[in-house]
Amino acid sequence: MRTDELIRSLANDVPAVPRSALGQRLIFGMLAGAAISLLLVATMLGIRPDLGSAIYSFSFWMKCLYCASLGIGAIGLTARLARPESFGSRWYWLLAVPILLLAGISIGELAYTPPADWPAMWLGNSWRSCPWLLLLLSMPILVGLWWSFRRLAPTRLRLAGAAAGLAAGAWSATLYCLHCPEVSALFVLTWYSLGIGLATAIGALLGPRLLRW
Amino acid sequence: MRTSEEQLRAMMVAGMDGDAAAHGALLRLLVPLLRSFYRRRIHDGDDDIEDLVQETLIAIHTRRASYDRDRAFTAWLFAVARYKMIDHFRRRRRMVAIERLEDILVAEGFEDASLARLDAARLLHDLPAKQAEAIRQTKINGLSVAEAAEKAGIGESDVKVSVHRGLKALAARVRGEHQ
Repeated sequence: MRTDELIRSLANDVPAVPRSALGQRLIFGMLAGAAISLLLVATMLGIRPDLGSAIYSFSFWMKCLYCASLGIGAIGLTARLARPESFGSRWYWLLAVPILLLAGISIGELAYTPPADWPAMWLGNSWRSCPWLLLLLSMPILVGLWWSFRRLAPTRLRLAGAAAGLAAGAWSATLYCLHCPEVSALFVLTWYSLGIGLATAIGALLGPRLLRW
Repeated sequence: MRTSEEQLRAMMVAGMDGDAAAHGALLRLLVPLLRSFYRRRIHDGDDDIEDLVQETLIAIHTRRASYDRDRAFTAWLFAVARYKMIDHFRRRRRMVAIERLEDILVAEGFEDASLARLDAARLLHDLPAKQAEAIRQTKINGLSVAEAAEKAGIGESDVKVSVHRGLKALAARVRGEHQ
């Protein structure tokens, strides 16, 4: 096709693009995926029966806030990586803040617990399944974000994939809090982070293949 | 007349607000820009260049949502164009011929630095050995006076005097005064 014909056909279809189009698209893809993950939590795993009283506990909010703050940081990073220009990475060390805070709480927990109880606190009842369930729950969100990227222009594909994986993992972990009855910070710091890390690794692995344009 | 950043950006923003005429005009203006961008960097046939230009136009059209209207349009444009070029190389899985490498890598800084180093080496060559060595160690290799003195097995004041005299001679040489 000749270039001027191409331009004529492209110029036939010029929908308006709102100022916040990029953010809207990412949020929409993420929410669509999260709806499926939420459905999976509710049907496959079940909401914890004591949720009504758990929302008054410190551990519940600690888990939620840890995962959600990682999720907010990761989606911000994803939004930046969805634009083609390179950018400074000044603010992204902030992603380490929730991890450091949770590590601080974990150290406090260890200090107040007799060493004989440390393994039980660390492993909880669900350490074997927790990271894998998080990884599974993150997949719908990752697919949603992949859909978002189809109209966006990432140029560092591995990094963009990793950021999307981190966002998917962190938000799936936030939803998983509705199911998971574990209470210790050390448990969350280890097994939640491992699940989120697995989702990040999957994103980094698939990024160069799926995000190409 | 060369189209400016402001003009292109105004047309892009108008296109994003749904102005199809402005969008079409923008794409037409980008064609020569993209052609020269790729011609300067890729030494393939005109057909390949034209394919790449068309692919880039399609990407600019379909991925407009990734442009932030508060940022420079040309930075966004060339980031897209550069990505398309790298993707083109990757798809071809082709080796880049070594004699073309300097056209593809942006190497101005490297070139300037190497030329400066060559010049310095040539100038130092004409100085007495002790002065040349003192300047090389302290001014080029970044040693302290004490370290340079220890390395050469001479006193610190000797190094300082050698550097001073050597630089004076070099300055005279650069100004064109021969001893």
